[in-house]
Amino acid sequence: MADITRKVAQRILNSQKKGKTPTKIAPFQLVLLAAAIVLLAAYPFFPFVNNYWIDVGFFVGIYVLLGLSLNIVLGEVGLFDLGHAAFYAIGAYTTGILFTQLHIPIVVLLPISAIVAGGFAYLVTSPIIHLRGDYLCIVTIGIGEIVRITALNNPFGLTKGANGITGIGTPDFGLFSFQTPTHFYYYIWIIVALVIIGLLNLQKSRVGRAWNFIREDEIAAEANGIDVRSYKLLAFVLGAALAGIAGNVYASKMMVISPDNFTFMESCLLFCIVLLGGLGSIPGNMLGAAAIVIFPEIFRQFASYKLLFFGAALVVMMIFRPGGIWPRRREGVGFRGLGISGLPKDEDEFLSKIPKESVLISSGSNSSSPVSIESSAEKADGDVVLVTKSVTMQFGGLTAVNNFDLIVRQGKISSLIGPNGAGKTTLFNVITGIYRPTSGKVVFLGKNITGLKPHTIVSKGIARTFQNIRLFPSLTCIENVMSGPHCHAHSGAWSSILRLPGQKREECRILEIATYRLHQVGLWQYRNELAKNLPYGKQRLLEIARALATSPKLLVLDEPSSGLNDKETEELMDSLKSLIAEGFTLLLIEHDMNVVMGISDWVTVMDMGSKIAEGLPSQIYNNPRVIEAYLGKEE
Amino acid sequence: MRMLLEQFLNGLTIGSFYALVAMGYSMVYGVMKLINFAHGDLFALGSYLGYTVLVIGAGWITQVFGIWGGVAVAITAAMIGIGIAGLVVERIAYRPVYKAGRLPIVVSALGMSIFISNGIMAIWSPRFQAYPQNAIPSEILSFGDIRITLVKLVTLLVSLALMAFIYWLVERTLFGAAVRATALDRDTATLMGINFSKIILFVFFVGPALGAMAGVFAGLNYGRIIFNLGWGYGLKAFTATILGGIGNIPGAMIGGLLLGVMESLFEGFVSGAWKSVFVFLVLIIILIVRPTGLIGEKIAEKV
Amino acid sequence: MSTLLAVENLCVNYGAVEALKGISLELQEGGIVTVLGANGAGKTTLLKAISRLVPIKSGQIKLEGEDLSKFPAYTLANAGIAHIPEGRKVFATLTVEENINLGAYSVRNKLSPKEIAKVKEWIFQLFPVLKERRRQLAGTLSGGEQQMLTISRGLVSRPKVLLLDEPSLGLAPILVQEIFHVIKQIHEEERVSILLVEQNARKALGVASYGYILETGKIAIHGSAAQLREDDRVRAAYLGGARVQPAK
Repeated sequence: MADITRKVAQRILNSQKKGKTPTKIAPFQLVLLAAAIVLLAAYPFFPFVNNYWIDVGFFVGIYVLLGLSLNIVLGEVGLFDLGHAAFYAIGAYTTGILFTQLHIPIVVLLPISAIVAGGFAYLVTSPIIHLRGDYLCIVTIGIGEIVRITALNNPFGLTKGANGITGIGTPDFGLFSFQTPTHFYYYIWIIVALVIIGLLNLQKSRVGRAWNFIREDEIAAEANGIDVRSYKLLAFVLGAALAGIAGNVYASKMMVISPDNFTFMESCLLFCIVLLGGLGSIPGNMLGAAAIVIFPEIFRQFASYKLLFFGAALVVMMIFRPGGIWPRRREGVGFRGLGISGLPKDEDEFLSKIPKESVLISSGSNSSSPVSIESSAEKADGDVVLVTKSVTMQFGGLTAVNNFDLIVRQGKISSLIGPNGAGKTTLFNVITGIYRPTSGKVVFLGKNITGLKPHTIVSKGIARTFQNIRLFPSLTCIENVMSGPHCHAHSGAWSSILRLPGQKREECRILEIATYRLHQVGLWQYRNELAKNLPYGKQRLLEIARALATSPKLLVLDEPSSGLNDKETEELMDSLKSLIAEGFTLLLIEHDMNVVMGISDWVTVMDMGSKIAEGLPSQIYNNPRVIEAYLGKEE
Repeated sequence: MRMLLEQFLNGLTIGSFYALVAMGYSMVYGVMKLINFAHGDLFALGSYLGYTVLVIGAGWITQVFGIWGGVAVAITAAMIGIGIAGLVVERIAYRPVYKAGRLPIVVSALGMSIFISNGIMAIWSPRFQAYPQNAIPSEILSFGDIRITLVKLVTLLVSLALMAFIYWLVERTLFGAAVRATALDRDTATLMGINFSKIILFVFFVGPALGAMAGVFAGLNYGRIIFNLGWGYGLKAFTATILGGIGNIPGAMIGGLLLGVMESLFEGFVSGAWKSVFVFLVLIIILIVRPTGLIGEKIAEKV
Repeated sequence: MSTLLAVENLCVNYGAVEALKGISLELQEGGIVTVLGANGAGKTTLLKAISRLVPIKSGQIKLEGEDLSKFPAYTLANAGIAHIPEGRKVFATLTVEENINLGAYSVRNKLSPKEIAKVKEWIFQLFPVLKERRRQLAGTLSGGEQQMLTISRGLVSRPKVLLLDEPSLGLAPILVQEIFHVIKQIHEEERVSILLVEQNARKALGVASYGYILETGKIAIHGSAAQLREDDRVRAAYLGGARVQPAK
């Protein structure tokens, strides 16, 4: 629905402006959507539909809402949540308790239940959000069980134990209150429609993209400026709040709730809805929920066998269609799928209209602090951008980096070379915040950045690539690069859901920067392709584009030529040189000596964790210690 | 004091069930990196197989083999049957799904779990089934003030003996080293000449078989079983697996026993209704403090 | 002397990358052949292809004339190929002794316990420090000791062919000295044929009789070790001689 209203409004607006054409509406999607809305709206009036089946329609709506709530956590972020029924329960019990004890109206309790559930989620997931997948799984199961058993045990007489809370009222708007199944049917589906609009807006925003980045590769996301912890928490809180709303509506319809409604099995069903529908897919979610509710109904006559078929059906589905019934399609959708308004119909036209000055870094628009020189000795030969002072990194008994001093100067290409296992990547990991050094300091643009979290360091101006390429494989190339400007933008969940003007401008700007950088590395034609489908050499370039999009002052590249053939390596060297011209500073780890010797201004050699030589490339080439380190000693 | 000891023994008993099931989880996870959610239901199926053997055999088995012989036959049948069931589950629910990634495997496992538990319900009955009285030895032993049923004593001894055997097998034999090596580094293990398919066979037979034995003992000790027995035990056993460090088989044993004892003592001295909450809280706190489990995943830090 | 191991026109894709583009080489019985090259040249991929750990796109690998493609990976150790992987892949939470015993896993039915015990004794003579630390967890050993362990693990099965992947990786010079000394010893005492992949060209050419230089998946130069030792192109291949501007 969001797409249509936005697009229609856009059309009207644009017909009044000159030079811009509206985004294309896919006719097929529009027809499908309209048909679905008509069907849902008219459903209670179909001939065979009696109260029983209207109730079924209601329950499909509840499970769609629950599925959507879990989808945020599991589908968008990829967090292994098998205890989601806990938040559903919290919402229901908040409503039940506050209504029966304090007689607060049900309608008022809807937002209250959402807030309580969200708050509960924040409290319990904060201490465990960092746990690895399988461990997070068991903890969420534990939370689910704790909530259920607590409800069962009737603490302080509040939850009324196994029989549950009875006599919960229905939503009452004063003049009008919901009584019949039909009322509730429309009630839940209107809520679902609103939630879907909000979630679609969220999905196609900076927040939604950040969630997907985390799902694809958490480490890469953090290394590209995404505050992983905050976004994970946000997902849980939002997911819990929506489940809480479902709990409120469920309680007000059934008027009775008991711990049996919120078992581990319930959480498993929600899990299956999301997977069955397709991770992160909103239409898939709806189909999944419908399947979960309707399937046992169809097999109702088989009574005890219906769940048997259900279990078998799950297995069969996963064998033949593990991506889900309606997986979210990203490739080939184009910029239209990004949900950014005001785009020209022709994407190439968009590219040509980007104001270059706002994107390039040499104008200094995105760089932060001025350079403060530590000592006069470093004043020579250009400003110092980065310096590591006596950095040591130890892992248990192993010293990977030993008292390392590295200086990187403005506008130069510095290379770090050394035999395999010398500790080069470890040093990079210290510089970019993945490791905290055992001792020593890292100073960037005059400020001490030692021990800062990786995403903070990105926002300060250091971007990196990885030795083994860490892209976001199931996202398109343009989406991958859009992670770059993320750290300099500010729009949060609310401004994204409501599509405030500031957020829209920001989104456009993010796309501009991403488009420019993607084009710069020569991958514009691949913009709507999935990153994983790119040939290897192009994947390397994509990673560089992504790093460039963070508008860094210093670009740290870990073996950029690895896996490239001769021609690609030549092109890479030219690209790197042009980056210097644009105003970047480069620090490379390299093994290809042609690259090192060909374009470096300064070379530092590392062996067994220590610096063994540094100087101009020609000096290094003839340095006996270096030769020894690489070729071995003369016997 | 007497209560303490009795609760302790109760705890060891149920702990040994947790331990046997947990070992199965750990075995499969260590080698395959997947959580076999259907494992708890195989435990339940084991108890039902034992039940069926005893009921069908009725007088006949007891006459030929004696009452303890009957128990032995039931356990053996259950172990073999469930071992085979484990292999079948791997073949139909997991093998076709490996290439799809970790999440689809979870759904497939859950689907299998639902299938098995409902299958039990369909084949036997949704109501509680009682293990036949005449097939359960009824002697009660007294050690001073303490009374303990013979069945419980035998359960403890046999379970501990089997655990010791598995420990020996995994930690002290060449084959066990091969299994552990496969869990650490499949490629290098292949270079050693270790056949990965054989390892899969082993973990998917032995793991469930251990659970089956626990299932029959559970039936003998508590007298009655129900089709969704697997959910509760499976969850607690999975908790024990994590407690000991996932993939760590001795850790699973200790985790299971520890969990059972903690739960029992809590039940005896504080509250029965809150014992599960207590267990989960302990788990969560331990994971916050030691993210790789109490005993640890036994992975030397490699950077 | 017959050809023990023959690689013919091997092409291997590593994911999206063309890692090997038509490699051909030979290892004679009782010989040591070294494959040199910079990182990313494809050396490890070559050994992994021989061990059947990575699939082959085209080409053939023959052991004593027999095509290896019909052998599943886990049978190769029994067939007489011992691959000692790079990066010191010890089984960290197993003891030193268990690691070595696993080396004999593939031949547990072929060799008698006495023969295996004899080989172990010989290995402990080669590496006394391993005997000292036999009950320690392998993960607690130093880098050099772990390298000795992986080599020992490969030797226990009394292989015909030893595939050695960068034994000098990340080791201090004095340890590198020791390792290569042992490699020579193994070759002389056990008459094992060795395919040695290395970055340390000088050391490798010191023990090998023949060498191949790999560059981005193709063989750039090959010849006898003596020839290669004198060759300036070897230095250029490693230190990027073609690109250096002498006066900057």
